[in-house]
Amino acid sequence: MTAIDPIEIEILRNAFGSITDETFASLTKSAFSTNIKERKDHSTAIVDARGHLIAQTMASPIHIASMTGLMATMMARHAGPDGSFPDVEPGDIFIANDPHVAGGTHLPDVNMATPIFHDGRIRAFVCNIAHHADIGGMVPGSMAGGMKEIFQEGLRIPLIRLFRAGELQQDIFDLLLLNVRVPIERRGDYNAQIAACNLGARRLTDVIAAYGIAKIETAFDEILSRTEARMRASVAALPDGTYRFDDVMDDDGLGTTNIPIQLAVTVTGDRILFDFTGTSPQVTGNINVTMNATVAACVFGLQAMVDPDCPNNQGVIDVAEVSAPKGSILNAVFPAPVAARLHTCQRVVDVVIGALAPALPDRAIGASNGANTTAVFSGTDPRTGLDYVYLETLGGGHGARATKDGKDGVQVSLTNTSNLPVEAIEMEYPLMVEEYGLIPDSGGAGKWRGGMGLRRVVSPVGHDCDFNGAGERFVNQPWGIFGGKPGGTGRFAIQCPDGSEQPLETKPSGARIGPADRVIVETPGAGGYGDPAQRAAADIARDREAGKISAIFMAAHYPAEKS
Amino acid sequence: MTWSIGVDAGGTFTDFFARETVTGRVVRHKRPSTPDDPSRAILDGLEELAAKGGIDLGQVDRLGHGTTVGTNALIQRRGGRVAMITTKGFRDLLEIGRQTRPHMFDLQRDAPPPVVPRERRFELAERVTATGAVLTAPIEADIDALVEMVHDSGAEAVAVCFLFSFLNPEHERRVGAAVEAALPDVQVSLSSAVRPEFREYERFTTTAINAYLQPVMDRYVSKLHTGLATRAPNAAVGINQSNGGLMAPETARRYPVRTALSGPAAGVVGAIHEAKVSGRPNVITIDVGGTSADMALIRNGAADISFERAVADFPIRLPMIDIHTIGAGGGSIAWFDRDGLLKVGPDSAGAQPGPACYGRGGTKPTVSDANLVLGRLGPELVDGGMMMDLAAARAALAPVAANLGITIERAAFGIIEIVTANMVRAIRTISIERGYDPRAFSLMPFGGAGPLHAREIAIALSMREILVPGAPGVLCAEGLLVADQKEDFVRSRRLALTEPAMPQLLADAAALLDEADDWFRTEAITQPRRALEMALDCRYVGQNFELRVPLACGPTLTASALPPLDQIKAGFFAAHRTAYGYATEAEPVEAINLRLTALGRAEMAREAPPGDATATPEPKNHRQVWFTADQPMNTPIYRRCDLVRGTVITGPAIVDQLDATTPIHPSDIATVDPAGNLLIEMRT
Repeated sequence: MTAIDPIEIEILRNAFGSITDETFASLTKSAFSTNIKERKDHSTAIVDARGHLIAQTMASPIHIASMTGLMATMMARHAGPDGSFPDVEPGDIFIANDPHVAGGTHLPDVNMATPIFHDGRIRAFVCNIAHHADIGGMVPGSMAGGMKEIFQEGLRIPLIRLFRAGELQQDIFDLLLLNVRVPIERRGDYNAQIAACNLGARRLTDVIAAYGIAKIETAFDEILSRTEARMRASVAALPDGTYRFDDVMDDDGLGTTNIPIQLAVTVTGDRILFDFTGTSPQVTGNINVTMNATVAACVFGLQAMVDPDCPNNQGVIDVAEVSAPKGSILNAVFPAPVAARLHTCQRVVDVVIGALAPALPDRAIGASNGANTTAVFSGTDPRTGLDYVYLETLGGGHGARATKDGKDGVQVSLTNTSNLPVEAIEMEYPLMVEEYGLIPDSGGAGKWRGGMGLRRVVSPVGHDCDFNGAGERFVNQPWGIFGGKPGGTGRFAIQCPDGSEQPLETKPSGARIGPADRVIVETPGAGGYGDPAQRAAADIARDREAGKISAIFMAAHYPAEKS
Repeated sequence: MTWSIGVDAGGTFTDFFARETVTGRVVRHKRPSTPDDPSRAILDGLEELAAKGGIDLGQVDRLGHGTTVGTNALIQRRGGRVAMITTKGFRDLLEIGRQTRPHMFDLQRDAPPPVVPRERRFELAERVTATGAVLTAPIEADIDALVEMVHDSGAEAVAVCFLFSFLNPEHERRVGAAVEAALPDVQVSLSSAVRPEFREYERFTTTAINAYLQPVMDRYVSKLHTGLATRAPNAAVGINQSNGGLMAPETARRYPVRTALSGPAAGVVGAIHEAKVSGRPNVITIDVGGTSADMALIRNGAADISFERAVADFPIRLPMIDIHTIGAGGGSIAWFDRDGLLKVGPDSAGAQPGPACYGRGGTKPTVSDANLVLGRLGPELVDGGMMMDLAAARAALAPVAANLGITIERAAFGIIEIVTANMVRAIRTISIERGYDPRAFSLMPFGGAGPLHAREIAIALSMREILVPGAPGVLCAEGLLVADQKEDFVRSRRLALTEPAMPQLLADAAALLDEADDWFRTEAITQPRRALEMALDCRYVGQNFELRVPLACGPTLTASALPPLDQIKAGFFAAHRTAYGYATEAEPVEAINLRLTALGRAEMAREAPPGDATATPEPKNHRQVWFTADQPMNTPIYRRCDLVRGTVITGPAIVDQLDATTPIHPSDIATVDPAGNLLIEMRT
């Protein structure tokens, strides 16, 4: 192995990060759809010749799971025993999305990867992933509830080549485009991904030329082994033992309710095993998760608990040993539908944090809102006669911490997408937002209060619209920790003109809303931390003055304080 | 003899740059700042400057001033007590923000709490719709009750922020007038006046921060005004704002948030000026100070304008010079991460205790310590005003070297390499990632530490030349001296960009031009100093972000200068191609903001730099300088003041001046160009 010092490694790490940053920016710029261009729902990475993630610029840890899943499939399908890739040529670009045969996590996330050759051998791959606004299937957007098998969710792409030796396989491209809605937009997004592959390949080739392949490969190994050692040191600092935690998903939208997730975390020296034995079998509805995404959620929880600033590469992923029964909701098998996997992944993060809490009481937090609350309004704009679909995911409470309250009204865990401004919603769609605020009393009581959920009230203007939603923790409250109380649940409801409210289910589909009706969306709060009796009088008084808790809540949870 | 003066009051030093209007004679001065009362350093410094340069302060007719009073109040959260009045149903909007968190993995890190707490955020039953129509008019009794609540809250300032006020500001104005009438001591910020633009959270938070800074800026400006009235009674004072232009002190009192991002803008204005006189329309600037490095890209003699930036983790939406900042400077600390890799910054030794080599008790290894160990910094700074402690620097670096098993010089080299890599990555972000090839630009380093690192940065980016301004350490003060007076006007209105929209655009353009005319008169700006620039922010229907399309510019404009529709759309397609690589001409386009910038140009002579060189000057001495990690070279040290126009120096050499040091690497050639700037051509 070529000698390399920590200074050179740091400089090369910076160079690799610069490449993934640039390909990320290039994908943002040249994509067609707003989902990529403006919500930046994409990620880029460099992977070594063994399929190990070296560097990434990412929108979501779940994306990384999907890219490493593609590379695992690549190794299984194309790598020979000597580590060479006999049937892969320079200029090949692979594409895949399928969760069941190609390491994906849901169909709209489409992955691409291209090999980097040096002296006739593959030395690395550059990869990217983008969430396409539609991948075909039963409903526009390919994400709605109600689908029972993967075939209904869209076009399944195994690991295939879109380019061979630099030549576009037009037949395959035509097939991809024929099976999706708005093919012009999709073609633009595919082209942006292809351009990002080629740009990344050029840049990495330049870096290899500048530093020499020996140094680059040594740096790859060093980056991974140092990150792994760093993470193992953090694990070794945890007391050995088995830590258990259970939680329950509300439902799958198709009749299965109270779906258990059970976790036993076993720490032995510098090894850590996440075992989900006892977790529910996979369900009919689309909240199932394939193994890669379960691993990503565990890695996120571990990293957030022990070392949030740790580089996010294969070195971290390799430390987390994850086991979930085949055919369970966390290791779903064909033909399970998986489009809404994020709800369940959010819950896995809560469960990991809950399990590790006794080992890391200063880092643990009460359960966060644990959902990816989704509200979709659709109809025909009476001003233009054109159809519209307005989709938004809302944050909620963030769990209370060991030294401070949970943040109110924020995205948590694996998602961090921003809201659409009220003024943008009302200019764009025939909708009026009547209220957007925090829900008093939704933050669980405790020495430190859980974060508050969000409330949004929306009504259609001058027409009838349809409302579809997906909620979680509408039944099972976000739990408190170390004596902290649970936070409030979320809900969907229709408020009628007379002020009465008609509740909706957790995953309502096709609710009809008239112009005099209002849709109420409330997201869950979060759990508190520590015994409410230990909450400082000044903090209680401040919450009361700010109206974050009511007099009734105060009397119930802080009886010693006068309101 | 009349003089113009630029005064830049920074955290550590207050810099002065004075120029005589007719001859262009220049006087510079630098003195320590007085952070407890920044006006003291300014007023004392002016007298020192006057004594040093023989300036009659009564003859100063223009004073451009950059201040960090607002920025610091925000960073330290020492603004005023603020209340907010907002639309019923939306009092939490300021707290929710965009519902994102600042760090993906960190469970403990939050966005900062808003500057107005929930108990002082009051709601009014009023509503304007997306067309600007009034759905619910506020009733008088409700307004009166709110005024009472604001009074009872003890607020010094109030932010009035209603939905769609950028389309219809009437409700905000009514409430603002009611507060002013009833509570004359309470300052008022209306969102429709601070930033009348679409997107409520950014508008509201910018307005709330404005209100938060109003009491602070009011006190500061009053104090400065009193002090200047006796010392420089004839000076028209301009306060620097984030767009790089100056505003009247009265305007700064009303809109103090405009100063919050002004710090790095002045340097870029100075850089544009120096690049222009050196005939370099395309430069990338890097301003390296003690804790951070600010980078900007200048094309055709102008920097891009951006509209959003975070200060103290608050997003602020205002027109501002597009500057990219990273935590890398002379005081940046080198440390080992948990994986054993060496990192530099973003933590900094700051001004106190400062790097170990300052001898003020700092023990952590910093970039300045590395530069001293390598001989690139000399044994004294500020013309002997500050002695450097080499032993302390070596002691600070010793643990780094021991950890890596290398020499102290090699460790110092590593620290420089890493901080360079961080700066290079940031410059790639503002150039390559935006479609500009850095090889087509000159690198202009400034700030105390900029020239020290320029060579490594330029090599890494394959740039061919470095242009070091004549006084890199006081370029911000020079920027304040040459800055224009500037005011931005905007009409935010979503219009389908088709023929029927043109009458509305014409009417809006006429209204904006009237506002600009009023401003010219108020500021007493006459021809030929007037300039106007009109632009339209456009996007494809369905997009969430706009691109700026220049429409017209000139010393005077009328609404008829608005180009025809086809031309506007062509401009949008061109901008879209540059930014995103494509444009589809069939897709519908919409206009969001019509913008007008009014400028009062600063005009002044420029002194020719001192005479032509006949020979290479004598170095003041020699010292050992490490240009590579292997061995030092005996290197001549030149005083910058000895280098006259036309001087050519071949490296290795070091050029020293008051507050900046420029290494000339072996075989590089440095020439003092006709404008008096130092042009370094690299021979590698």
